[in-house]
Amino acid sequence: MQPAGRRPVVDVALQGGTMSVAEQVDRAKVLQRLRLGDAAFRHLTRAAAVTVLVILGGIIVSLIHGSWPALRTFGFSFLTQTSWNPVTEKFGALAPIYGTVVTSFIAMLIAVPVGLFIALFLTELCPMWLRRPIGIAIELLAGIPSIIYGIWGLFVFAPFLQQYVQPFLITVFGSVPVLSTLFEGPPYGIGILTAGLILAIMVLPFITSISRDVFEAVPPVLKEAAYGLGCTTWEVARYVVLPYARVGVIGGVMLGLGRALGETMAVTFVIGNAHRISGSILAPGTTISATIANEFTEAVGDLYTSALIALGLILFAITFIVLAFARLMLMRLNTRVGV
Amino acid sequence: MSVAAFTVPTVTHAASSVEGLLEKISIRNLDFFYGDNRALKNINCSLYQGKVTAFVGPSGCGKSTLLRVLNRMYDLYPNQRASGHVQLDDEDILASSQDLNLLRAKVGMVFQKPTPFPMTIFENIAFGIRLYERLSKSDLEGRVQHALQRAALWEEVKDKLNANGLSLSGGQQQRLCIARTVAVRPEVILFDEPCSALDPISTAKIEELIDELKDDYTIAIVTHNMQQAARVSDFTAFMYLGELVEYGETTRMFTTPNDRRTQDYITGRFG
Amino acid sequence: MVMISGASSPLYAKRRRRNVITMGLSFAATAFGLSWLVLILGVLLWEGFSGLSLAVFTEMTPPPGAAGGLLNPIIGSLVMTSIAVAIGTPLGMLAGTYMAEYGRYDKLTTVVRFINDILLSAPSIVIGLFVYEIMVAQMGHFSGWAGAVSLAVIVVPVVVRTTEDMLTLVPDTLREAAASIGLPRALMITKVAYRAARAGMITGVLLAIARISGETAPLLFTALNNQFWSTDLNAPVASLPVVIFQFALSPYKDWQKLAWTGALIITLAVLALSIIARLLAAQRKSS
Repeated sequence: MQPAGRRPVVDVALQGGTMSVAEQVDRAKVLQRLRLGDAAFRHLTRAAAVTVLVILGGIIVSLIHGSWPALRTFGFSFLTQTSWNPVTEKFGALAPIYGTVVTSFIAMLIAVPVGLFIALFLTELCPMWLRRPIGIAIELLAGIPSIIYGIWGLFVFAPFLQQYVQPFLITVFGSVPVLSTLFEGPPYGIGILTAGLILAIMVLPFITSISRDVFEAVPPVLKEAAYGLGCTTWEVARYVVLPYARVGVIGGVMLGLGRALGETMAVTFVIGNAHRISGSILAPGTTISATIANEFTEAVGDLYTSALIALGLILFAITFIVLAFARLMLMRLNTRVGV
Repeated sequence: MSVAAFTVPTVTHAASSVEGLLEKISIRNLDFFYGDNRALKNINCSLYQGKVTAFVGPSGCGKSTLLRVLNRMYDLYPNQRASGHVQLDDEDILASSQDLNLLRAKVGMVFQKPTPFPMTIFENIAFGIRLYERLSKSDLEGRVQHALQRAALWEEVKDKLNANGLSLSGGQQQRLCIARTVAVRPEVILFDEPCSALDPISTAKIEELIDELKDDYTIAIVTHNMQQAARVSDFTAFMYLGELVEYGETTRMFTTPNDRRTQDYITGRFG
Repeated sequence: MVMISGASSPLYAKRRRRNVITMGLSFAATAFGLSWLVLILGVLLWEGFSGLSLAVFTEMTPPPGAAGGLLNPIIGSLVMTSIAVAIGTPLGMLAGTYMAEYGRYDKLTTVVRFINDILLSAPSIVIGLFVYEIMVAQMGHFSGWAGAVSLAVIVVPVVVRTTEDMLTLVPDTLREAAASIGLPRALMITKVAYRAARAGMITGVLLAIARISGETAPLLFTALNNQFWSTDLNAPVASLPVVIFQFALSPYKDWQKLAWTGALIITLAVLALSIIARLLAAQRKSS
């Protein structure tokens, strides 16, 4: 088969129809000019993406750099000592770490079951017209800045606990052998328990909305199959929905935990700021973030400042691990569901 | 660049009637790969100036893939590559030195799903023009009007040029996309199943349009609707499982196809 | 006629009872959760509203015992928030653009996405320490710039996430349509993809603003605080959250009153931003 003819190479825009003026536009030149900007934009966006990594790297490096004096001075004992004495310059992180862990634990203990039950309500029981308003209310709760939780906790919640709840707890558990130490002591109002409870309210919306999203993603056919066998709503939730959504729920719980661990303002107001570990959760204590928030601007001396930054490093390490775990869980969920 | 010696195509061609026709695009020994999967096998074909060539075949035969080689649309994605020779006039489309944006300005495409830009109707057309040319306001308006007239859309939208392109009906949106393509003055227009998302009336309008446009452009159309191919095209290529089985004048292909498989497809034995 | 066996058996009764109990629990849990919202917002409105007056917006923070307002912290917050958004939004948008467009199939994108999600939930006090180390310690003094930068570091991950999500939602057919008229990649992104994703990206910025409006911890040792009127960003700058922190923990009643009012202002601002963001999202869905 023979080709019948060829056009010359130079790009001449054809006359598309009834235009009167024959125009020769050298489009190649225009595109050549644009190509430089194109490459520049690509490099710019790539640099911006790399900057995100640089920020993380910067955080890690600066924290290590700032905490180096303290870590070098105290070594591993920094993690095991409770004494926190700016005068003698002896610093130990055990009390803040203990406070952080215990308050977060209390928070998760309450927020996880409550959040799951709310998610269950929203997906199974709640009438349609009520779902969006309640969903919005949950998001509102999540959006309230933590300092509001803080002052509310200080002026409203803590006094309430001090007047009614804590005396009640003390009398109830006073005679129970093991638990009495847990609920021992004068009702200060502020303290580890109060901080844990406020954290619970703060973390609740996160767990609720993630759980609700994951519950809603369960394919209806699975639930219908269970209902078809005569299962009650609870049984469907327990034996079908929850196992299916398990990975997502764990991811959401981890995210909530990460938030609880790092929360500063809500806790600082009500924790009591006492550098000690006590057996009672009614006693005041401190968390890592509360310590830093309260003492950083007053810190005199390089070792003091360095000790506080070392606390920050520990907190960052803990939350990094928890959050990385959460993301891995949620990533696995996405690949499985095919999102 | 000299055309390398190519193997005698194992495709039945009607040789006689192509004399006097300008070969706009010539495809020789084209292979296409999605990763390791060879989706096009040794395609040999020609598209002629001023004529409409239809590509038909069952789903998955590679006709859209072939179309998307012609403006190197596959280059937007990783793991897709083509090998062989595809010439537009004297230029090798597949060469790595090819300016892709320039190629796509010369080889326009209309897609299956109408995709107007999220802009006003006027902007949809003017956008492409402004990319390449500096025009005065009145010249630009003239060009936009001309493009919309060629797409048989002007009468319907001339009073609402500032409306959002997405506010038009499906058929109108598709004509808007055709106007947009025509506005940048390509030499070849590729239609990838342009009517499959449209109602019969819009389909008829667009087929009419293609008939008018072919005088000034080289047109290739992929369609799964054989009646459409018979109505609209001058040449038809039948593809099956990544191979170009038969290629020739439409009237001959639909009345006396040479290949058994072509005949079976056209008569509906499989599809 | 065969009766459905077990309909009145003790096992069935137990199952039914358990169902009723757990359903009751879930209802109670919801009421429990919602009541906290009511309690907190109710108290906030009650305490904060009574202190709301024109003076709050026109007068500066007073010494204890005197009357005054919250002018300088409000201005300080506005200024630092604006700068933070001005820095963080372009950076975040460009990074998100890379992840959704050029680098969509890139290994770098996977890593950045993972790291970004961690930064998104990182404790903000650690961000404050970071900026302290790189700016305050280097410069030798606290400054409004440091405060703005620490807020910007919080803005970036939010904007990266929403930009990437919104750009990924733009269908590839639109990109191909733009490519088919010869549009170079950068123009395709800025003139077509951005326009298509515009509402979503704006929503992301609004959410970022809402997020940093209430952030206290990062400002504590970057911008510190300032009792007086100051337009010098190179020096400590008052901000609403820090002033609330200081006033609330103080023993002075009128300071505490101002703290509640300030808290109300912040909450209303955050709510307003969330509502606007939600309206934009709904509008986008309907178009």
